[in-house]
Formats: sequence, structure tokens, C-alpha cells
Amino acid sequence: MSSLKDIGVHVVHVGGNGNARAVLREVENLLQKLVEKGEESSIDLSGLPLSAEDYDLLEETLGEGEVVAEVHSLGPTRIHETGVPGVWWVTHYNDEDEVLAEFIEVAWCPEILLAPEDDVKDGLEALRARLFELKQESNHG
Amino acid sequence: MSAMELLLWARGPGLGIAVAIFLFGMTLRLFEIYSLGRKTDLAAPRSPTPGSGWRTVFSRSLPYQGTWHRSGLTVITGFVFHIGLFIVLLFLLPHIKLIHSLTGLSWPALPTSLVDLVTVLTLIALLVVLVHRLMDPVKRLLSGFGDYLAWAVTFLPLLTGYMAYHHLLLDYTLLLALHILSAELLLVVFPFTKLTHTFTLFIARWYNGDIAARKGVAS
Amino acid sequence: MADETLLEILKRRGISRRGFLKFCAATTSLLALPPSMAVAVADSLGRLKRPAVIWLSFQECTGCTESLTRAHSPSIESLIFDAISLDYHHTLQAASGHAAEEAREHSMKADWGKYLLIVDGSIPLKDGGAYSTIAGISNLQMLQEAAAGAAAIVAIGTCAAFGGLPHAQPNPTGAVAVSDIIKDKPIINVPGCPPVPAVMVGVLAHYLTFGSLPDLDDLGRPRAFYGESIHDRCYRRPFYDQGKFAKTFDDAGARDGWCLFELGCKGPTTHNACATTKWNGGTSWPVQSGHGCIGCSEPDFWDAGGFYKALSTPVDSVTGAAAAAVAVGAAAGVAIGIANRQRKAQARAEHQTVTIEDLEK
Repeated sequence: MSSLKDIGVHVVHVGGNGNARAVLREVENLLQKLVEKGEESSIDLSGLPLSAEDYDLLEETLGEGEVVAEVHSLGPTRIHETGVPGVWWVTHYNDEDEVLAEFIEVAWCPEILLAPEDDVKDGLEALRARLFELKQESNHG
Repeated sequence: MSAMELLLWARGPGLGIAVAIFLFGMTLRLFEIYSLGRKTDLAAPRSPTPGSGWRTVFSRSLPYQGTWHRSGLTVITGFVFHIGLFIVLLFLLPHIKLIHSLTGLSWPALPTSLVDLVTVLTLIALLVVLVHRLMDPVKRLLSGFGDYLAWAVTFLPLLTGYMAYHHLLLDYTLLLALHILSAELLLVVFPFTKLTHTFTLFIARWYNGDIAARKGVAS
Repeated sequence: MADETLLEILKRRGISRRGFLKFCAATTSLLALPPSMAVAVADSLGRLKRPAVIWLSFQECTGCTESLTRAHSPSIESLIFDAISLDYHHTLQAASGHAAEEAREHSMKADWGKYLLIVDGSIPLKDGGAYSTIAGISNLQMLQEAAAGAAAIVAIGTCAAFGGLPHAQPNPTGAVAVSDIIKDKPIINVPGCPPVPAVMVGVLAHYLTFGSLPDLDDLGRPRAFYGESIHDRCYRRPFYDQGKFAKTFDDAGARDGWCLFELGCKGPTTHNACATTKWNGGTSWPVQSGHGCIGCSEPDFWDAGGFYKALSTPVDSVTGAAAAAVAVGAAAGVAIGIANRQRKAQARAEHQTVTIEDLEK
């Protein structure tokens, strides 16, 4: 019985198409903007024709940084700081772990990590309500 | 009619009609011309003639010294656009595929970028030829509607092909359809203009060489 | 309930603003908009009230629905259940029979003039439209009724957009496209057999986000997805320019990924997003798997002269016409030749010899 592995497959490496370098230049420009003007920005990786080689080159050049974070909302979102501080690699997944979108964010902190103001207000109310309940419980207890 | 419908018409019924008119016209013309025949020359030839006709077929391809000096521009542009036409027509892969599907004959193609360069040179040569025809008083006097028509139907397939390859001005599908239609126009016009020289030129030269030799001026 | 915005629905379902932000980022990416537009997308999506959507299926194979349900981003579940209110879809809805038709009529009445109508499949016109009916109503009648109250129509798949397979010669059912019947409503054509899932979702997302039609080409297709030809975006394009072509599907050239033009690839005349968006969540696409493009997002692709014939070759054989032309040409040439010889012979026969006496008369 032959298996899939027995079928000869000729893997061809066509090499990078040069787009990784263009993205890296763009990152350089955006980072300069962040430093000089404090402007935050991001690059949508899913819209760019990057070959596997380009992708590897991009990852290798940017490297790994100090921060790794994960947000769980509508499926996981995984974030890590690259070896270049201020440059973040943000990947959104759905519940089936398929990539929804992928960005390189150039920011002091990726937006999705910041607690949204409205959620903080809601949280404050929820906490106060819980404290009130606790107080009632201890009064009656 | 959408661009795709036009393209399908050009690749289907249009091509059939054009090829039929071309073959009908050319067969008719060649039969007509050659059935006229020539009177048997009863006089004894002045010099031995064998080979003179054949030599003339090739020797007339090179310009005489006098012609070269008088009208070098015509000679150069003439060579450039004729050779360019042959390279573009016979060595671009899509053309080879067409010829293969029609005749079963096939040969290797040249790189597309090279054919592209040749196309530009050919287009320039054809433009120079036209401008010269319009500027030169003798040429202008000698030129009639048929000459300008022959120029136009030769120029258009090259121009539309170039525009299609480089996506100039119009959508590729429409340009490809126009390119094929312009080539079909060339086929339709071919048997009824001076473009027939493609088929009659070398035979005429052979006769010229042969007759001249019989009269004592062998090439 | 019906007046709830998308943001409120998400909140009620326990999804935070972070989740919403992520949804907007994915949508922005899908629409091929710059990331800086995410704020605008979030703003309009946040205020969005779920529009009613009616999906009509006519002469079709359900391949478009199959394709749509395999959309990855943003997951179709979230789009369908959070962003739109899909009130009628044969295949996906739970109700059937009279209940289903009632749901359609109810939705049409409730949202008259505001709902989005999606159509897949072509509409047969021959013999009074007898070839395809739903609940005893002909496709033509159902389309005309539903279109009258629609804000806009999306023709999904090549059948709805251009007639597709049912429209192929000899077109036994007299099948036509939506745009052949409906002339007074904005129509977005999303052709493909089937269309790329992400493209279908992208077109819907664009309509939902901005409430307007995207920029369309002359065939009514959104330029964002159909603006470029397969050939121009193909990773094998450099081989075309170098003159390197696969001659068969299993030769060395084919294994090295050379251009498939000779094998009948219709990439140069086909506009679609396959080469960039790819299929199955970006896994691959036809040309990458070694088969030429068949041009399925273009009109009449079934009748375009064979999937394996090079684009520059004739659609039909010209051999018969050519042989006939040569025969007729030869016969005419011979006839003219004979006529010419007769004229010559006649001229000779009528030639009168002139003598000295004649001249001295």
C-alpha cells in the first residue's frame, strides 16, 4: 500500500521577490515617525505578496523581543514585541486557529492591549456592584 | 458586445472568415498570374542561363552601390521592418502556438523581451517609412490608396500587439481582440493589395534573372 | 432587537471592545484598505444596524454557497449572525416549504426598499420559465418581485453574473444573468465558479461597512478584487517573459513551475483575486497546483474554445473553411486562366495579316 509520502514531490524554492526588504524599509520610516512625532501606525501583512522566503527574512531581521502577550476575544490574538522595541508583530486568529489578519504595528504599545475606556468604566461599575454585594453578605452573615 | 465576446468572435468565426478570404484570394491570384504563361523564347540564349535566375533571387536582396547612396534610409528602414516583421510573426510563442494549431508545424520561441525590443524597432522603422513616403515628393506622387492601406494593415497588428503586451490605454482582453482582428484585416486585404509581393517577389526575380541572362547579362 | 447596532449585539454576547477592534481590523484587511482606515470601519460598523438579507438560488449547483461557508476571515458565522440578518436562504435556513416562503414574504414586506438581495444561479426564460420553479413560482417572477423592494442586488457566481454554465451553448433553458432582467437596481457582479470565498465576504463586508456599492468595472465587478488579471499577478509570470513554458503537465518545465500558457491557461484575459487571495485560507490556487486558469470569472468561459487550448489558437477548427477556400480559389483561378487563354486565342484568330497591297490601297 503506497502512502502519500511515496509520491515524489519536487519542491522548488523560487527565492524571495524582494518585498521583504521593502517592508523593512517601511518599518524603518514608520519607526522614525514614532520617535520624532509620536505617530503610531501599522502595516497589513495579509495584503502583501510575500513568498515564504520573504516571510522568513522579515522574521529573522526583526527578531524576538522581550514581550509576548495573548488576547482572548473572538478567538486568540497573539502579540510579540520584535527585537526592535516599538515594533510589534500582531496576529489575529479565529476560534479554529486560522489566521484572520496579520499586522506589524509600530507603536509604544499595540492598541489591542490597552484597556478600552468604556470597558474600564463598565468594569469599575461591576466591581462596585460586587463590593456592595460583599458588604451586604457580611452584614447579613 | 463585451470585450470577451469580441475576442471569442475573433478567435472563432472571424479567424475562419479571414483565413478563407486570404486562401481564396491568394490561390486565385497565383493561378491567375501563372496561367497567363509566357511565350516560348525561340531565340538561342546569348549566354548559358542555368542558375542565373536563382542567383538573382539572392543578389537582388542586396542594394546596389548607387541605390545605397541615393536612398540609404529607405534601404535601412526596409530591412529593419521586414526582418523585424518576420521575427515578431514567427518567433513569439503565442504566434508559434497559432501556427502549430493551424499547420502542425512548431519550433522554439525567442524570449518575449527580445521580441518586444524587435517590435519597437519595427514600429519605428514603419513610422519612418510612412513619414518619408509623405515627405518625399516622388514617393508621395507614386503612392495611392492601396499603398497607405497596405502600410496601415501591417502597422496595426504590431501596434495593438505591443499595446496589449504592455497594457497600454485599454483592457488587455479588448486589446487582444483588436490585435487578432487587425491581423485578420491584414489577411483579408492581403491578396488584393501589393502585399501579395510576399508570394510573387522571388518568382518575379527568378524570371528577371533568367530573361536577362538569355539576353546576355547573366548575373 | 432589530434596532440594535452591531456593537450592542456583540456586547450582549459578552464580546468586549477588544473583540470588536479585532473584528474591524480583520474586516479592514479583507477590504484591502490601509490599516489607518480601521477607525472609520469601526465607526461605521459600530453604528450598523443589521440589514436584512434575502438570498435567492435559481439555476445553480450550490457550489457558491459551499464556497461561501468555507470563508475564513472574518469567520462567516460572525458575519452572518452578527452583521447581517439572513432572512431567507434555501440551503442554510432551518425552515422549509411554506414556512420558508412565508419568511421570505414577511421579510420583504418588513424591510421593503431596504434589504440586500443576493442571487446565485441563472434565470431560465424559455417556455415561460418552466425549467426552474420554487414553490410553484418561476425564477423570473420571484426575482422580479424580490428585486422590486431591494436596495441593491449582489449577483453571486458566474451563473447569476453572466449566465454561466446554464447559458453555455446551446443554452437549452434560455438562461440569462440577473443584469439581463433587472435594469433599475444597482447590481454588483461577483463572478467565479465558484467565487473566492474571501471575495464574497469582502463584497458583503464593504456594503455593510460603507452602505454603498464598491467601485465597479465595466462588467459590474468590484475593482478591489477583479481589477487585475490573473496573468499580471501570477508568480509564474517571470517565466512567460523569459519564454519558459511547460509543454505537458508532467514535464521538467511543469515541475519547475514554468508558465502554463501553452497548456491553455486563460490567465491573461481573466480578472479575479485568485493569484493574491488564493483559496482555502491562502493555501494554494489552481495555477500554483499546476493547472492553468480556466477563466471562470469571465463571461462565456464554457464556450471559450477548450480549457487546454492556448489563448492565441482558434476556437473552432478552420481546416474545413481553409480547404474549401483553396478549392474555390483554385477553381476560380483556373476559370479566369481559361478565359484569359481564350481571349488570347480569340485575339490571335481575329488577327488579320496586313500585306503591302493592303497598305497601298
